[in-house]
Amino acid sequence: MSETWRNRLLLAVALGLAAVYLFPLYWMVVTSLKSGSAMFATPPSFWPSEPQWQTYAYVWQSRDVGRYLWNSLVIALGAVALVTLLGTGCAYVLARYRNVWIDIGLFLILMLQVLPASLMVTPIFVGFSQFGLLATPRLAVILAIAAKAMPFFVVLVRSTFMSVPAELEEAGLVDGNSRLGAFLFIVLPLARNGILVSAILIFMQAFGEFVYSKSMIQAAELQPASVGLNSFMGPNTNEWNNIMAFAAMYVGPILALFVLLQRRIVSGLTSGALK
Amino acid sequence: MKSIFSSLRDGRGFDVSLVAFPMAFLFLLSGLPLVYNIVMSLQEVDMFSLGTFARPFVGLKNYATLFSQPETWPILKNTALFVTASIAGQFLIGFGLALFFWNEFPGASWLRGLFLVSWVMPGLVVGAIWNWILSGDFGVLNYVLRSAGLISGNIFWRSDPAFALWAVILANIWLGISFNMILLSVGLSSIPKDLFEAAELDGAGAFARFFTITLPMMRATIGAVVSLGLIFTLQQFDLFAAITSGGPNNASNVAQYWAWDLSFRQYDFAQGATISVIMIVFVMIASVIYVRSTRQEVRG
Repeated sequence: MSETWRNRLLLAVALGLAAVYLFPLYWMVVTSLKSGSAMFATPPSFWPSEPQWQTYAYVWQSRDVGRYLWNSLVIALGAVALVTLLGTGCAYVLARYRNVWIDIGLFLILMLQVLPASLMVTPIFVGFSQFGLLATPRLAVILAIAAKAMPFFVVLVRSTFMSVPAELEEAGLVDGNSRLGAFLFIVLPLARNGILVSAILIFMQAFGEFVYSKSMIQAAELQPASVGLNSFMGPNTNEWNNIMAFAAMYVGPILALFVLLQRRIVSGLTSGALK
Repeated sequence: MKSIFSSLRDGRGFDVSLVAFPMAFLFLLSGLPLVYNIVMSLQEVDMFSLGTFARPFVGLKNYATLFSQPETWPILKNTALFVTASIAGQFLIGFGLALFFWNEFPGASWLRGLFLVSWVMPGLVVGAIWNWILSGDFGVLNYVLRSAGLISGNIFWRSDPAFALWAVILANIWLGISFNMILLSVGLSSIPKDLFEAAELDGAGAFARFFTITLPMMRATIGAVVSLGLIFTLQQFDLFAAITSGGPNNASNVAQYWAWDLSFRQYDFAQGATISVIMIVFVMIASVIYVRSTRQEVRG
């Protein structure tokens, strides 16, 4: 078998595997375009013959999707800002020094990274309610998400800082920069890409966050899209085309971001977990 | 005063302040809740004492109550089954895919990256899609299985107690495959190619090469991937909320969902805290294994 045919065959199999794997996403879009009766047809059709685009407009208006997405955006941006502001400096110091204290700090951070949100939400909720933080529920959720996401961010960004040569920073110090100046004007610009990718990963996580928002935000006007989608899915619902349209509008921005930055996101994720 | 300021800009104070704020933040929002969780699990907490710190201590009574409840052991068993089956499925399928994409062909790395889309999707969206796919009468999975002749009648994935947990496991395996595959791919690509060439010259077949080179060389990666799988599986909450809500009659309930359900559905915060403490101990053990299996990388 020649090299070309081998490549074509492998590519065909790979495309088939990807198609099977990504079928749930396809099924979401197809279902969202079906009419109420086509949705329950047996056998189901795998291609929307009469796409019902107006479902999207209907769901957008009737379920306040815009408001939900806005809340998700506010929460995600708040969490990313907080995590980036606090986590970058921490990651820098953890990357620059080698001693027992740094090892202990790293170990603690790795331990905090693994705490499941659904288990931490009970003490956080009770504590927040005692300190009156639940009066500003979106802020409370931002704080909780930031605490959950920061260890991951620190681990990712630390590996970026470790790839910035220390000699460059030392040269900057010799040239008369202060530590602060060398950090801001030499190290940070060199680590910019790694920080950006890590921030995007945190953004995606926070944009889809559910447990904290569900537990702490009672007012529907302040809830993010994950909670909105959850309350849309009653136990005996038959509005699956509308639900799938909601889901598609929710996941759309994330998919766009992912497709645009796929290569960087993949390398960022792997370096965080293994390197 | 001036020296403090200049130390902040230029000396030790600079490093200390960069670390101190995030550490204080993490201490306040992760460390303290962790301790508070343990404290609450030793207290009597009800709706009236929720707002005060002066709650009566009851010793280990919450733990005794928890283990005397009839649903506790089945739920812990579900948790164990959920974790084992999810990890086994994710790992085996993920490893298979990683081995396949290890063959070099044009577009391989791009297509492989495409799989990760499941990992960036909000858990609730994944849950909603699978909820619909697994629907009893009109679900597409039942249709496919029926057409393939594998089942004769519809399986009611979400409402049949025998299948409810498997419905969530199925969705969770789908969710985790991509992550397993990508990490295992990274491990595979770090094995030196000449090892395989040497073995091939010596006459080792594909199976022998797999068991004598690939698997031993991948030991560290496999350890990390499996313990990460354990950590992520124990964090899985959204799929339960979106597919079965732990029902019917706790048939698909697991500890991490139950803890939340006790606190926020039944307002029994003490019991919620108690089961949380037990599960957090498990997660901590898993993460120690994870840290140990990636220690070279973490320290190096």
